[in-house]
Amino acid sequence: MLPEENTGIVGWGSYVPRWRITLEEIVETWGFNPEQPKELRVVEKSVAGVDEDAVTMAWEAARNALARAGVNPKEIGAVWFGTESKPYAVKPSATIIAEALGITPNAMATDWEFACRAASEALRTSIGVVASGLIKYALVIGSDTAQANPGDVLELTASSAATALVIGRREEAAAYFEASASYVTDTPDFWRRDNSRYPLHGEAFTGEPAYFKHIIGAVKALFAKTGLKPSDFDYAVFHQPNGTFPIRVAEILGFTKEKVLPGLVTPLIGNSYNSSALIGLSKILDQAAPGQRILLAPFGSGAGSDAFSIVVTDKVMEKRDKAPKVEDYLNRKQLISYALYAKYRRLINRID
Amino acid sequence: MRISIPPSWRTRIYRYRLTATKCKKCGRAAYPPSNICRYCGSREVEFIDLIDEKARLITWTIIYSAMEGFEEKRPVVLGILETVNTKARVMAPLTDTTPEELRVGLMMEPVLRRIINEGGHGLIHYGVSYRPLLKSTS
Repeated sequence: MLPEENTGIVGWGSYVPRWRITLEEIVETWGFNPEQPKELRVVEKSVAGVDEDAVTMAWEAARNALARAGVNPKEIGAVWFGTESKPYAVKPSATIIAEALGITPNAMATDWEFACRAASEALRTSIGVVASGLIKYALVIGSDTAQANPGDVLELTASSAATALVIGRREEAAAYFEASASYVTDTPDFWRRDNSRYPLHGEAFTGEPAYFKHIIGAVKALFAKTGLKPSDFDYAVFHQPNGTFPIRVAEILGFTKEKVLPGLVTPLIGNSYNSSALIGLSKILDQAAPGQRILLAPFGSGAGSDAFSIVVTDKVMEKRDKAPKVEDYLNRKQLISYALYAKYRRLINRID
Repeated sequence: MRISIPPSWRTRIYRYRLTATKCKKCGRAAYPPSNICRYCGSREVEFIDLIDEKARLITWTIIYSAMEGFEEKRPVVLGILETVNTKARVMAPLTDTTPEELRVGLMMEPVLRRIINEGGHGLIHYGVSYRPLLKSTS
């Protein structure tokens, strides 16, 4: 028996801000090729409000996850926060979240950094610490107000959202882990230096040697470990930087498009970085039936991917309606102008 | 605008979880919390969190001439709300809304937000704001 099999997702929850900007509006502002949104298969992206950041979004996602988990916050032994948009460069975000949720003081609380994959590695680690019995529950959160240089192609997709998972013992879980695998290499596809406001990236280099190689590497390692094959899965969720990459990586691996579409939210809200794949998983848990198997494969630049095989249990049904679903947040939207988006995301230089 | 660190730190739990006091004698709840009931003067109070409670909007004001540090939030909308079960009166910023959407009696829910941001180098002070119920703005 693998250690993963003793653990599972006891609670899950997401958050998407109310505000959206159309890609058409960004294209018009910066003179991009009008066909670009169609090529990316993204219509709108979510924008965090002026009083929001990765911490406030994480708080709401975590509250939703705790509501579904139904556990006493004091029993959470670790708050692990994956983000690349920490409000403070130095001062943990995880302690603010832990304090606000009543988890403090006897818990671990740390911010993780690995571009879009920080929360994914935190998730795999949480499986280990829960399986070992070191702690009873871990709260793993992926939350980002993704930054992009105004006028850079990244700006078309860099968005805001959060997803949280409470990891605990399998007996209480809405879905349990069967196995997991990781694949990391030193790959310079996307980076941000400590004094840079915005990340830089290697354009086309972000595809084949980064996204595709690492996700395929992690998923194949999972298959080799378990003997599972694409037809054994009902759903497949990959990191979703745009609307095309997840479908293409699915095809290469042998998954049909139909298994990817239920968890594909990037066309509606853009790429929410650390929440990108996890919000897809969250949406699938909102609708999956007991017994169904999900492949989860987040990716982060720099670069790495993890693959998880997850099986839904009967408990998913009783937990599902205890918090708002991803669909509720997708339906709550208000379009804003480029000017308001620039103000909300502090793209305008002011003396303050 | 710089906020003194000790009082901000001391009140963080009250701000994050909307901690109020409920009088054991007259039963009324008060926010911010106080060791003495502001309605009957009793010292027999218990601490309760209002963070899970919805509230009704009683009144609000729209501030166009925002003080230093609040310019980016203009217009600043401040509301007075009454929590539905405990009937505590809370004054808090209103968020995720526009002045046109507001009306007396509007049901709202508390969310954690950035209340004061001390520019690019200082502290961020988090606290509760109220927004219209999630599904009401779909």
